[in-house]
Amino acid sequence: MSRLPGTFLSRAGLAFGRSFWPLLAIVVIAGAILWGPWVSLAITVLAVTAALRLL
Amino acid sequence: MNRQQSDGPAVFSSWRIFSHPQDRHCVAFHVACLAAYCCAFWMYQHPKLVGVTGPWSRIAFVAASATMLGWISGINVGVNFHNHSHRPIFTSQFANRWFGRIWAFSAGWPSFFWEYCHVTIHHARLLAVDDWTLPRQNADGSFEDFRRYLFMHWPWRLMKHLWLDLTARRNLRRRSLRELVIFLALWSIPFWIDWKMAVWLWALPHWIANVWVMGSGMYAQHAGCVSKSDARPLSHSNVFVSKFFNLTMFNIGFHLEHHEHPRVHWSLLPELHERLKQELIDGGAHVVPYGNHRAAWLLAGNDARKKQFAEQAVGYTSNR
Repeated sequence: MSRLPGTFLSRAGLAFGRSFWPLLAIVVIAGAILWGPWVSLAITVLAVTAALRLL
Repeated sequence: MNRQQSDGPAVFSSWRIFSHPQDRHCVAFHVACLAAYCCAFWMYQHPKLVGVTGPWSRIAFVAASATMLGWISGINVGVNFHNHSHRPIFTSQFANRWFGRIWAFSAGWPSFFWEYCHVTIHHARLLAVDDWTLPRQNADGSFEDFRRYLFMHWPWRLMKHLWLDLTARRNLRRRSLRELVIFLALWSIPFWIDWKMAVWLWALPHWIANVWVMGSGMYAQHAGCVSKSDARPLSHSNVFVSKFFNLTMFNIGFHLEHHEHPRVHWSLLPELHERLKQELIDGGAHVVPYGNHRAAWLLAGNDARKKQFAEQAVGYTSNR
């Protein structure tokens, strides 16, 4: 029984992790409704810089 | 490799749609990419809703959206569709063919052309003089300049080579023409909706995907490498062991393992890496602790940055 939540969490984490980049893209693009295009651009610059330096 | 051990419980053994249960993540990724494009298109058509009030705020929206769309499209075709080209994800041939077409077109490629470049040319002729998918080599065997490869390769060199190869034989010519017509019909859809939107949020992301994401990936995966030989059997590809990178990039970091065993499913590459680890160390494989993105950053830089790329990850140095 105790394995069930752990298995579910690891599967959910895997599913989320594997679609991380398109989900981030949707957040950045759709998020412009909430915070405007300049904040979306700032998040994009930060994400690309972080990826180039760390990943 | 025991598939049951690594794929999860036996409940998936009766799976009928996907060739492998983990392939549902490939579909989820592609659907999320198409959703991102639809979202960007819709918002472009409703500028006031996203705070676009003039030319500068429109440029900000387009720059953010095109960059993110280009980035995910580069991964979607360069990595995700790439897996499908080695091991089709559906059990139905019809589904494989048509899903492939509505997959590769989202980064500006007819699926058959991409498969031809990758499988028939790159995998079969890896690092040989006629592997025209890779950067050209200098007299000392090193790759040409990073920027030169990025800006010259897609679409200029590729179009020339594809034209020469695909028009050479009658059966290839006929199939290529059919696939090109299907591709053009699909790829032109955003232009029928709004041609200006299509230029900025469809064609521009595809340029970013091919030049910056796929181009830099191809360069980093084989930079400093030599073609396979008895003396150097494991120096044809680099290995990138960053866990986060591999989690979010369908394990493409295990690139040497992938070239050695292209039919092994992408989800099983970490396990294969562990099994081959000692062999990789003894064989002098180049392993780095990050992913393609940082590798591209280092390879695009000065000699000091390039030297950093040449360093080996901790735990992968041979004691011999």
